[in-house]
Amino acid sequence: MTSEYAHPEVLVSTDWVAEHTGDPQVRVVESDEDVLLYDQGHVPGAVRIDWHLDLQHAIIRDYVDQTAFETLCKSKGIARDTTVVFYGDKNNWWACYAFWAFKLYGHPRCLIMNGGRKRWDLDQRAWQRGPEPQYPHTDYRAQPPDPAIRAFRDEVFQHQQRGGRLIDVRSPGEYTGEMLHMPDYPQEGALRGGHIPGAASVPWSRAVQDDGTFKPRDQLEDIYLKDCRLEARDKVIAYCRIGERSSHTWFVLQYLLGFQSVKNYDGSWTEWGNLVGAPIAKGPQPG
Amino acid sequence: MTDSPSPLAARLAEIIEEFRDAEPRERLELLLELANSLPPLPPELAAQRDAGMHRVHECQTPVFLWIGVSEGRVTIQADVAPESPTVKGFVALLAEAFGGATPEQVLATPPDLIQQLGLTAALGMTRMRGLHAILHRVREEVRKAAASA
Repeated sequence: MTSEYAHPEVLVSTDWVAEHTGDPQVRVVESDEDVLLYDQGHVPGAVRIDWHLDLQHAIIRDYVDQTAFETLCKSKGIARDTTVVFYGDKNNWWACYAFWAFKLYGHPRCLIMNGGRKRWDLDQRAWQRGPEPQYPHTDYRAQPPDPAIRAFRDEVFQHQQRGGRLIDVRSPGEYTGEMLHMPDYPQEGALRGGHIPGAASVPWSRAVQDDGTFKPRDQLEDIYLKDCRLEARDKVIAYCRIGERSSHTWFVLQYLLGFQSVKNYDGSWTEWGNLVGAPIAKGPQPG
Repeated sequence: MTDSPSPLAARLAEIIEEFRDAEPRERLELLLELANSLPPLPPELAAQRDAGMHRVHECQTPVFLWIGVSEGRVTIQADVAPESPTVKGFVALLAEAFGGATPEQVLATPPDLIQQLGLTAALGMTRMRGLHAILHRVREEVRKAAASA
């Protein structure tokens, strides 16, 4: 018998989502790496929010500002009291990213459909084709960005200098500095390879099972508590290359394992690895 | 003679025009149509794919390419996992544009083809590098096939 996750209420099954089709209190949101997947077929009634086209600022390297976030929610028929369920491709990698962005602006009820597109497909549920459904616009008012879940570079530097806990969720080759980007992914621009000194290496995908769902709590504890020697009361900063994979780990630590203080450093390696004078460690040891 | 575009340039120009005339969202639909139009592999190539051959290793998405030159003309066959329709659509576009052209014509295509298609506006800057890697790989394969033909 595995113990429950710390916050089991943030995960729902494909069953739950299917049962809530058409529920006006619930908005299902697809968020993918591959932007065409939604057009090929989506969960009935789901809207799409693209991590890049909708959530990133068009000019500045940042997320959309509060007003743009409000406009986005209004247009998708999301109100402050709507329960928003995120799902997507790649083991919910981008769904967790969108979830994190919604939490950044203080959206109260965000859920993840465990297993994402993969699990929906494995369960042989129907995909809906056709244009994105339109819902009545809302009068959405966001909160200012929540600094409790987002780390900026100066803070990461101070945290690192104090010996604070850091998790590098990239692939082993990126961590050691042998390669500057994900294996098989195109180069995304860092001038130096390696990791932030002191950071533990835990590739994000270790938290998921073959069917795309999260591993049970005891297995997650083996990885993050036993292997990494983290404790739920530690202040932890997670990073990757641009802050997307680390939002997945942020979700695991905060909601599944109940860590009190986890931040996502979205500047991540494309910032740190380009920053003049930033300390870097190479090789398999945290350093 | 030198003023008239090659058949490839004309075909590419047509595709580029079609994409540019479309709204960014419609460009995605065009790409999806192309993805759906990519013919299934013949059994002998499917067997090679299943054996892990002809995979483009710089793509995280499983992309398989068979590029050759036959009687001076480029032949392209390809397969891409259905979980990656964007990549599949772009590969189908290249197969449609480059198949039947001469290697010289393929290698003379503009390096900023992806920008000309207006895909940056439709897909976002961070998704462009993967497509660039594929374009680069296709051109390299054509160059190699032409050299050994």
